Amino acid sequence: MQDVAVIGVGLSKHVSKRRDVNIAELVYEAVSAAYDDAGVSPRDMDAVITGNMPAFEGVNMPELWGAGHWGAYGKPLLRITTGGTTGGSVVHGAFYAVASGMFDTVIAISFEKQSDGDTTMGLNSVGIADFAAILHFGTDPEFLVSAGGGAIGIVAYQATSYMKSSGCTTHHYDKVAAMCRSNAARNPYAHLKQPDITPEDVAKTDMMEYPLRFGHCCPATDGACAMIITSADKAKKMTGRPAYIKSCASCSDEAAIIGIFGGGPAHLDPCSQEGCKKAAEKAYKLAGIKEPRKEIDVAEPYAPFANQLLMFYERLFLCDEGEAPAVLDSGSMEIDGELPVCPSGGVISTNAIGASAMERIAECALQIMGKAGEHQVNKDVHNAVAHGWGGALNLNVVAVLGDTPRR
Amino acid sequence: MEKQVAIVGYAQTGYGSYVDASREILVLEAAAGALRSAGISREVLDTVVTATNDYMDGRTISNMRLVEPSGAWFKDESKVEMDGAYAVLYAMMRILSGDHDVAMVIGASQASVYPTYIPGVMMLDPTFDRERWLLNEVSAGALQARAYMDAYGATEEQIAGISVKNLRNAAGNPLAVRRMPVLTVDDVMDSRMLYSPIRELNAFPPSDGACSVILASSEKAEQITDNPVWIHGVGFSHDSYLTERPLDKLGSLKQAADRAYAAAGISDAKDQVDVAEVHENFSHEELMAYEALGFCGEGRGSALLESGATKMNGELPVNPSGGALAANAACAAGLARIAEAALQVRGEAGSHQVKGVKTALAHGQTGLCAQENIVFILGGE
Amino acid sequence: MEPGGLKNVDTVEIPAVPVFSWSVGNFMEKFFDGLKDGKLMGIKCPKCGRVYLPPRMICERCFTENEEWVELPLEGTVESFTIAHVKVGDDGELEDLETPETIGMVKHKGADTCIVARIEGLDPADAGVGMRVTVVIDKSAENILDVLSHYVPC
Ligand SMILES: [Zn+2]
Repeated sequence: MQDVAVIGVGLSKHVSKRRDVNIAELVYEAVSAAYDDAGVSPRDMDAVITGNMPAFEGVNMPELWGAGHWGAYGKPLLRITTGGTTGGSVVHGAFYAVASGMFDTVIAISFEKQSDGDTTMGLNSVGIADFAAILHFGTDPEFLVSAGGGAIGIVAYQATSYMKSSGCTTHHYDKVAAMCRSNAARNPYAHLKQPDITPEDVAKTDMMEYPLRFGHCCPATDGACAMIITSADKAKKMTGRPAYIKSCASCSDEAAIIGIFGGGPAHLDPCSQEGCKKAAEKAYKLAGIKEPRKEIDVAEPYAPFANQLLMFYERLFLCDEGEAPAVLDSGSMEIDGELPVCPSGGVISTNAIGASAMERIAECALQIMGKAGEHQVNKDVHNAVAHGWGGALNLNVVAVLGDTPRR
Repeated sequence: MEKQVAIVGYAQTGYGSYVDASREILVLEAAAGALRSAGISREVLDTVVTATNDYMDGRTISNMRLVEPSGAWFKDESKVEMDGAYAVLYAMMRILSGDHDVAMVIGASQASVYPTYIPGVMMLDPTFDRERWLLNEVSAGALQARAYMDAYGATEEQIAGISVKNLRNAAGNPLAVRRMPVLTVDDVMDSRMLYSPIRELNAFPPSDGACSVILASSEKAEQITDNPVWIHGVGFSHDSYLTERPLDKLGSLKQAADRAYAAAGISDAKDQVDVAEVHENFSHEELMAYEALGFCGEGRGSALLESGATKMNGELPVNPSGGALAANAACAAGLARIAEAALQVRGEAGSHQVKGVKTALAHGQTGLCAQENIVFILGGE
Repeated sequence: MEPGGLKNVDTVEIPAVPVFSWSVGNFMEKFFDGLKDGKLMGIKCPKCGRVYLPPRMICERCFTENEEWVELPLEGTVESFTIAHVKVGDDGELEDLETPETIGMVKHKGADTCIVARIEGLDPADAGVGMRVTVVIDKSAENILDVLSHYVPC
C-alpha cells in the first residue's frame, strides 16, 4: 500500500439557508477553498470521490449536473453514500483510492443543502420499513410519533439509556452543549456560535423529548467540505506538515430503529454501539496506536446530540465505559484541556449531514497541520481520531490521523 | 495489472418482477449464492460494498438494512450509489490497499416497487430541466440516438439489429427477462413507439434483481479457487451533463476504455478481447459503445454489427447474455456484465457460452445518456 | 428462480410526498430575469470563451468563474429531437400521449450548450436535425420555468 496524507481542506460557509447559490455552487465554495489550501488545481486530480444524503435535497446523484463545478469533468468519479456516515465514508473511499496505488491525488467532496430539501421527510423515510409494518398491523400512529419523529426520537432513548448506565445527569448534557457551542464560536465555518453560553443557558431551552432540550440538538445546516488527499510521497513535496491518514475502519451492526425488524445490540441497547468499538479497535490497530487515551491528542466524535459526545468518547476507548461524565467534569475535554474533544464545535453546532462525518476528519487534519486558527488546540497534535455515525443506529466509521505515516 | 485482485465467486437472481419479495431477500439470495459459488463462508469476508440507490429504494440510507442480508454484520461495509460495477472498483481499491483480503459486492434494485422513471427524472438539473418534465431516461436516450444517427447515418433498422442479436442471445440465458429466440427486425420496428426513434424493444426492461461478485487478493484467490478470474485493468470517467456535451459519441466510455486498456496492456481491443459484455440501456448505445471501445472506427458501429463480428459465433461476440436490453435491474445491470464476463472466462456460461474466452471486457454505466462509464478487463490463467 | 418465486412481503402504500425547494442561485436568477425581459442571457468563460446557456457559475473545462454575460439570438438550431408518443405520468410510468409532440435540443448561435424544449407549430414528421427554430417567450407564464415556453420553426 502507499501511505496517504491530507494536504488541503476547504469548507463553505455553514448557515441554515443559502438561497443565493444552488447545490453545485455551494459545493464549489468548499472545493475551490480546498484546491487553494493545497495549492493545486483540478488538473492535479487523478479522481474525484463524492457523496451526500441523497433523499434530502430531492436530487438523485447531484454530481451528474453539478460536478462540473467541482473540477470533475473528464475525471474518474466515484459516489459513496452511507447516510450520516457519508462524509466519513467518502474520505475512506479517497483513502483507499490512494492507498491502493490506483491514484496519487484525489479530491473528496461531501455536502448537504438542507434548506433545498425536506429533511424531516428524509429522516422519516429512514424508518419507512418500520412505519409501514406498524401501520399494516394496525398499531396506533401516535406510537410512531413518539418513537420516530426524525432522528431525535431514537436519540432520546440513547440519552436516557446512557444516563442509567453511566450515572450522568442532564447537567452533563448541558455542559457538553455549552462547551461545543463556545468552541464553535472560534470556528469561522461553524453554524451555531455562542461564545458566552453557559450550561445554565442550555438548561433553560425548550424540552424537545426528555431528556433532550433544544440546546442539546444540532441545527440543520447548508454546507460543504472538501479535502485534497494524496500519497505521502507527494505530500512531502507539496506541504511542510501534511496530516497523514493512518487508518480507516468502519463497522456495521444490525439495523434498528423501532426494533420490529432490527435485532442485536443496536436494538437491545441503543447505547452499546458495539460497531463503534469494533471500528475503533481496528483503526487503532492498523494505525499502531496501542494506548488511545495516551496517544490520541484530539478527538472528533460524531455527536449531533449532546449525550452522544460522552457515549462515543467512551466507545472510542478514550476512557473506561461510564467514565466520560467524570472526564468532562475534570475539564480535560475543553479546547485547552488534556484531550480536547470537538474543538471545531462538533456536529451539535454544525450539521450539513452528508458533510458532517467528513468535517470531523477535516478538523483532525487541520489540528495536525496546525491550521485550525482560533480553534487550534493548545498542544502539539501527533494523533487524532475522527468518527462518524448513522444509518439505523448501526453504521460507524473511524479514522486515525497523525503527523507521521502509518508505521 | 498483473494478478492482484480476482473474482472468485458470483451469483445473480433471476430477473423479472418480484413484487412480493423484499429487496432484502433478493440481496440475501445473491449474497448466499456468491458465497456458495466461491465455496467460502461469511466469516471469510473482510469487507462488503453494496450498490443501491435511495430513490429506487424509496427510503434514504438504502444500505443500512442490507447489513444482515449482504453478510456485512460486524464487517467493514460501505455503499456506492452508482451502478454496481463501481462497487467492484471500490472493493478492488480496498483489497489493493492491503487492509482487506476478501470482498463481497452486491448491486440490487426492484423496478416493480418504485415509480419506474422518477429516479431518472430526479437526476436532472433541478434549477431548470427537472420541473419542465420533458427529459427522462428514455427521452434523453432518444435525443442521444437521433444525434448519433444524424452524425453517422445509422438507420432505425440497423439499430433494431442490436435488439435482435441481444434478445436472441438471451434465449440462451435462463436468468433474462426478454428471451426471444425468433425475434426479427420487423418485430422490433413494430413494438410500441416511446420516444422516436426508441421503441419498446430498443429500450431496457426495468427489472427486479440482484447480482453479487466476490473479490479476493491474489493470495486468498489462489487459496479459494483453482479458477480465479483476474482483473487485469479498470478505467472509469465522468462526462458533462447531457445538454453540455456532444450526444453523438460516448466520450467518457472512450476515456474509461483507454484507461482500462492501458492498465491491461491492450493495444488492439478487437484482436485481444474475446468477448464483451456491454451495458446498453438502449440498442443504439451498443453501436456507440463499439466505437468508444475501439472495436471499430468512429461511425462504423452499424457496419461492425452487420459484419456479424459481434454475434454469438463472431470474432468478438458482444452481450452473449443478452445484455442490459434483456434484463435490467438498476444498480445491478453493469455489475451483471462483470459476472457474465467472469462466467465466460471460466467457461460456465452454459448455453450462452462463447468458445475459447481468455480475455473478456465488461462495461457499466450511470447517469442519463451514459454520462459515467466504467470498463473492466478480465482474464483467466 | 422463477419471477415471483421469492415471496416474503405484503404491500403497504405510504402516502407521503416530500416537498423540495431548490435554490437556483444568482446565475439562474439572472437568466430568468433576462427571460422576463424577452432576452436570452448566456455566460462566457473568460478563459476558453465557452458560452453556457442556461448559464453556469463555473466553466467545467477551465474551472474558472464565468463573468461575462452575453445576450444570445432568439434563433437556434435543432441539434437533436425526438417525437414523444409517451410521457412520464404521475405514477412514474410511461403513459401514451393523445397527440405526439416534438421535443428538441436546441443550440443558439454563440452558445456551446443546449436547451431542451418542445417544438410546436410543425408536423412532427417534418422535424429534423439542423432545423432553424425561434424561442417563444411567454412573459405572462405563472411558473418561472415556463417563461421559456417552446420553440417554433423560423
Ligand atoms: Zn472555459
